[in-house]
Amino acid sequence: MLSLLAKFLKVLNSDASPSQISLGFAFALFVGLTPFFSLHNFFILLFVCVIRVNLSAFLLASAVLALLAFAIDPLSISIGESLLSNPDLIQTWTQLYQSDVWRGFKFNHTLLLGSIALSLILFIPTLIITRIMISLYRNRLMAWFEKLKISKLLKASKFYKVYEKLEA
Amino acid sequence: MTKWIRWSGIAGFLAFVALVTAFWMMAAGPLLKMAIEKYGSEAAGAQVNVADISFGLNPLSITISGVQVTDKDAPMENMMSFDTAIANLEPFPLLLGKAIIPDVMLTGFALGTARKRSGALTRSTSKNTQSDIEDDALDITEKESSIKILPSADEILDREKLLTVERGEALELAFKQHQVATEDAVGNLPTEETIKGYEQQLNAILNGKFKSLDDFKQRKREFDTLKSQFKKDKAAIAKAKNAIKDGKSDLKQKWSKLKASPSEDLSNLKGKYSLDAVGTSNLAALIFGEDAGGYAKTALGYYEKARPFLVDEEAEEAKKELKEKRLEGRFVHFDTDRPMPDFWIKTLDFSMALPAMATDESGGKESLGQVVVKVTDITHQQDIINAPTRILANGKNLKNIKALTITGELDHRQSAGKDSFNLEVDSWNIRNLKMGLAGLKMVSSYTDVQASAVFSNNQMNVVGNGLFKSAVFDSKKRTTLAKEMVLALKNVNQFTLDVTAKGELTSPKVNLSSNLDGQLKAAFNQRIDQKQTELETKLKNKLNNKLMSYSGNYQEQLKGLNLTEGSLVDKTKALEKLAETEISSYENQLKAEVKAKQNAEKARLKKKRDAEKARIKAKADKKIKEQEQKLKDQFKKLF
Repeated sequence: MLSLLAKFLKVLNSDASPSQISLGFAFALFVGLTPFFSLHNFFILLFVCVIRVNLSAFLLASAVLALLAFAIDPLSISIGESLLSNPDLIQTWTQLYQSDVWRGFKFNHTLLLGSIALSLILFIPTLIITRIMISLYRNRLMAWFEKLKISKLLKASKFYKVYEKLEA
Repeated sequence: MTKWIRWSGIAGFLAFVALVTAFWMMAAGPLLKMAIEKYGSEAAGAQVNVADISFGLNPLSITISGVQVTDKDAPMENMMSFDTAIANLEPFPLLLGKAIIPDVMLTGFALGTARKRSGALTRSTSKNTQSDIEDDALDITEKESSIKILPSADEILDREKLLTVERGEALELAFKQHQVATEDAVGNLPTEETIKGYEQQLNAILNGKFKSLDDFKQRKREFDTLKSQFKKDKAAIAKAKNAIKDGKSDLKQKWSKLKASPSEDLSNLKGKYSLDAVGTSNLAALIFGEDAGGYAKTALGYYEKARPFLVDEEAEEAKKELKEKRLEGRFVHFDTDRPMPDFWIKTLDFSMALPAMATDESGGKESLGQVVVKVTDITHQQDIINAPTRILANGKNLKNIKALTITGELDHRQSAGKDSFNLEVDSWNIRNLKMGLAGLKMVSSYTDVQASAVFSNNQMNVVGNGLFKSAVFDSKKRTTLAKEMVLALKNVNQFTLDVTAKGELTSPKVNLSSNLDGQLKAAFNQRIDQKQTELETKLKNKLNNKLMSYSGNYQEQLKGLNLTEGSLVDKTKALEKLAETEISSYENQLKAEVKAKQNAEKARLKKKRDAEKARIKAKADKKIKEQEQKLKDQFKKLF
């Protein structure tokens, strides 16, 4: 846990591009919130590898979101149910269902469709908000944070040694 | 833009995918082999062996060779086996974990081949093994008994709970209990010596005069003690008498019931083991012998064994329930002409040899030919493809059969599945078919068979019709029955046979009728009556033997009780006689002495008086005679 937190701080305090970090967070939505062994995640992993996304931010956010998914799954399932049973969309789903490729993506699964829909909805807001928050942190909070007594205490702690180790 | 591309990432990703693919290419074969053997064995209840599994890439295919599915009821035999199965696979569904196989070609398919090693699964505990052995033994007994027309007298007596035995054992038990009670009671009785001792003691007490008052008192005490002992002994005798009386009464009652038991047993057994009660399955055996019954049984056995592989409703239900419990969401299916279940063999082709039957007059057996089988839509998720599994089998290179067609449909799209089969045999030249009665055989016949079978919800409904044309019968036996049967059948050129089997899959109610029945009725009845009379006689004898085995004991026991009872009567009489004896008092003795003296004096005085009287009377008589004489003389003198 300490290591994970230290990694997170390292990413935040590094020179890594805020956009790459926020993109890592945004892509992590798909891997974290949706069932891992799904075909779409194969493509997400491909994107993450090919595009210069911050891998640490991606992995860290994926792990955190996978834990959060236990609480979010009921919401995802209800979204998926409402989408798949929506009379206006039935024709679309039926057309997609005729294709082996689309069915390979298991779009007709309530949890998968719901969680992907949720991830898509949250993708842009996550991208923007995390981008802003990282900039804010680096410009204003990072210096102030390091002056705090608690930071000094932290630096003397075991946690800081882990952090230092990572820095090295 | 290019600054956003991570070229090393592409290389890493490709390397990762290549690694995973290579791993699967190498590991998939052995893993699949293990999976088939493990889960196949669990489903079959016996070993499933696979020699090798290999993959081809262009087109994507899988070749499974050397497959043997052991018959769990006969571990040294395979329920089915095949040399190779070549299956083409649809690649894209395979990536999604779905095995969609457009066609499978089986070669070397065979049923009931011998195994080199036992295919029984290793049991975990000896308890299971024991219970299985017992179950197997029970199965074998049931199978054997179902084949026989009528069981033997010994088998019936071993199998049935007989009143003769039950009541005989009750009689033996009652005798043992009464014996103990009687022995206890008799043990408290005085012996002959004791009674003789009593007599001697009484004589000693009662004989002789009392010498004194003390002497009297002493004798009186002894007498009272003896009397008290008599009282006790009498009570003991009464108790023993009652015990014997109760015992005799109980034993007589039980014996009376036991005597009636053999006839009651015989009556019960006659009802149970008459031909009617056994069912018409025996009649089928009578007409067609054991061979035909065996084929039907084998076919039903294969259906029961194959069913779990074709449909797995329980597993599906369990799976659904499990999914509903877990928050994993669900698949929503839409109308499609491209259904995609987890496993689906669209077409399976194979050929197999038909069972061997007599094809020539010498009676030598030979396969009736081959049957080419095509099975379509094999899946455990028929609701997804919305189609049942269909079977079509056609005869090929047939011997003595013009045409053979078997069709089947296994429809499990809804929870109560329905499996139906149809059989059509055209002009089957049956030769030397053994019949189960009087050494009879059907020498030749051209037979058309139409049969349909429906299995649903563990119930079966089978209807079959056979038309036997140009039938010729013969029998090597020269018994009256055989001759009568052959004579009766000579006039039969054509007959029909209708079979129905309805009810529980494991115990259907079989009904068999034929227009041959009327012609054979008399012969059958005679034979049946003869068999039943024989059986009844044997049963009666054996039951009587059993009765006699108890009877011997009973007679001895009764004799013993009567003897004991007789001795008790003697002892009672002896004791009663002794008890009647009374002792007089000393005062009475003195009074008696005085009285005796008085009596003696009285007697003496009386004697004296009588003597005086006699003397006086004699004197008087003499005087009278003298006077009479005087008077006579005086009277004479006057004349």
